[in-house]
Amino acid sequence: MIYKLRSVLISQRWGKWLKPLLIPIVLLAMWQAWAPIEGSASGIAPTPSGVVRGFWELTVSGELPSSLFESLTRIGSGFCIAFTIGVSMAICVWYVRLAEYLIDPLIETFRPIAPIAWIPLAILWFGTGTWAAIFIVSYAVFFPVFVNTLAGLQSLDKRLLDAARTLGATKYMMIRDVVLPGALPAIVLGGRLGMGAGWAAIIAAEMTVGSKSGGGASGGIGQMMFIFLSYSLELRYIIVGMITVGCVAYMIDSVFRMVQRRISPWIQTS
Amino acid sequence: MGLPELPEKVKEAQIVSHFATARRVTVRYIFSLGCFILLWHLTASYVGKPNTLPSPGVVGLQAIEVIGSGELLSHTASTLRRLVVGFAIACFVGIPFGLLFGLSKSLEAYTTPLIEALRPISGIAWIPLALFVLGIGEELPHFIIFFGALFPIILNSADAARMTDVNLLNAARTLGASRWLIMKEVVLPSALPMIFVGLRLGLGVGWMGVIASELIGAPSGLGYMIEWNRTMLMSSRVLVGVFTIGLIGYLMSLLLNFVARKSTPWWGGWSRRDL
Repeated sequence: MIYKLRSVLISQRWGKWLKPLLIPIVLLAMWQAWAPIEGSASGIAPTPSGVVRGFWELTVSGELPSSLFESLTRIGSGFCIAFTIGVSMAICVWYVRLAEYLIDPLIETFRPIAPIAWIPLAILWFGTGTWAAIFIVSYAVFFPVFVNTLAGLQSLDKRLLDAARTLGATKYMMIRDVVLPGALPAIVLGGRLGMGAGWAAIIAAEMTVGSKSGGGASGGIGQMMFIFLSYSLELRYIIVGMITVGCVAYMIDSVFRMVQRRISPWIQTS
Repeated sequence: MGLPELPEKVKEAQIVSHFATARRVTVRYIFSLGCFILLWHLTASYVGKPNTLPSPGVVGLQAIEVIGSGELLSHTASTLRRLVVGFAIACFVGIPFGLLFGLSKSLEAYTTPLIEALRPISGIAWIPLALFVLGIGEELPHFIIFFGALFPIILNSADAARMTDVNLLNAARTLGASRWLIMKEVVLPSALPMIFVGLRLGLGVGWMGVIASELIGAPSGLGYMIEWNRTMLMSSRVLVGVFTIGLIGYLMSLLLNFVARKSTPWWGGWSRRDL
């Protein structure tokens, strides 16, 4: 039996498919088998098949799509705000000496503060609604975008700038045709890192708001998960939420990786 | 014989210029922060709602009070204890597994899908489920830190192990080194700089994770402190907590950078922005 399994795993034809799937399948089977045993003791152990059913139920009832849409809207608008501010501020700091002296120490002061730490203040300032979440996302996205854009600008080829200047380019033309294309790979990398941080931050923000305000105003997928914990104890719905969070994170990252490959095929993305 | 010694004057000039740079940077820092605090003070007095936006002076006074009563210190201590435990477990699991993962083709084939499936789920998304399974207490932050820090550490260690110079590996093999010896003497040293990159990323994620899990489900710690003071409408104390979180995050990355620089003196790639 063991020998047969081994030979199948090593064989060219089946091994390629079976090897990666072996551990996940075993784990899922163990989970499915363990859940009823645990469930008879505590009464609430989710099974993989229950999770799949839960996925379907939440999609049909519209709860999952609507809260997902809400979270995505928030992260989209927060990203746009932070991206615009971050890129323009980095150009400003790179170009104007005084701006560098004024802004750079502030950036270095605020950058180590985790975005999540601002959640209580964001609730105080903006209430428990969308604006608090957008503030947290913008804060999380801003720093990677700024730092990477600035690094991209500082590593621009000096000769290209001099060449453009020699050819009589105006400041506007320089920024449009030399500076921005040159720094674009770094800017996109910053956006990708920022989006990763922003997605984690928004889930935390929605969960904190959901757990403290007793539900209601905030919405979003993080709060959806917490409501299932505190009101109905439907663990399988929580797992549905976790899987959705993971899938969305993966998709966002893939989109950015695709853009990266398009604009800078020479950089390896992993 | 080596290079001739630098003349004394050049050495002195170097030291002087070093001090001048340091002084200039400090002056800039103080100037910039001073402007910011002035702006903050003006905004605060214009808004005039100390419960929402306290002025910098009030925050300073509260900071002294919180430090004096030992409240801040005890919360910081419990947060740091959690971080150290969770992060240490993540290191002990992540670095060896990552190195093996990078070196062994079959281990990679077996476990890649599992890692790729679990990795995008941020540690923070585990909080509701972990809160149910583990309850409010020490285990929840430990688990969240561990889970968050694990994947950056594994993936960077694996990349690092893959990039080991094949010539070095072959040379060691030719000289009859055992697998364990190759691992210890060839792979680990060459992988160390990139392992530190993974540790730094993991520490950042873990720091987020510990604050988030304390905000939601822990009876003590900095995250708990800021959330508690928020419900008390003591926003000046919330700000003290927020700045402490930033300061500790900064000090930790300085410490990690220091350790990285000391343990990999041959590696020139560390820069200030790498924090």
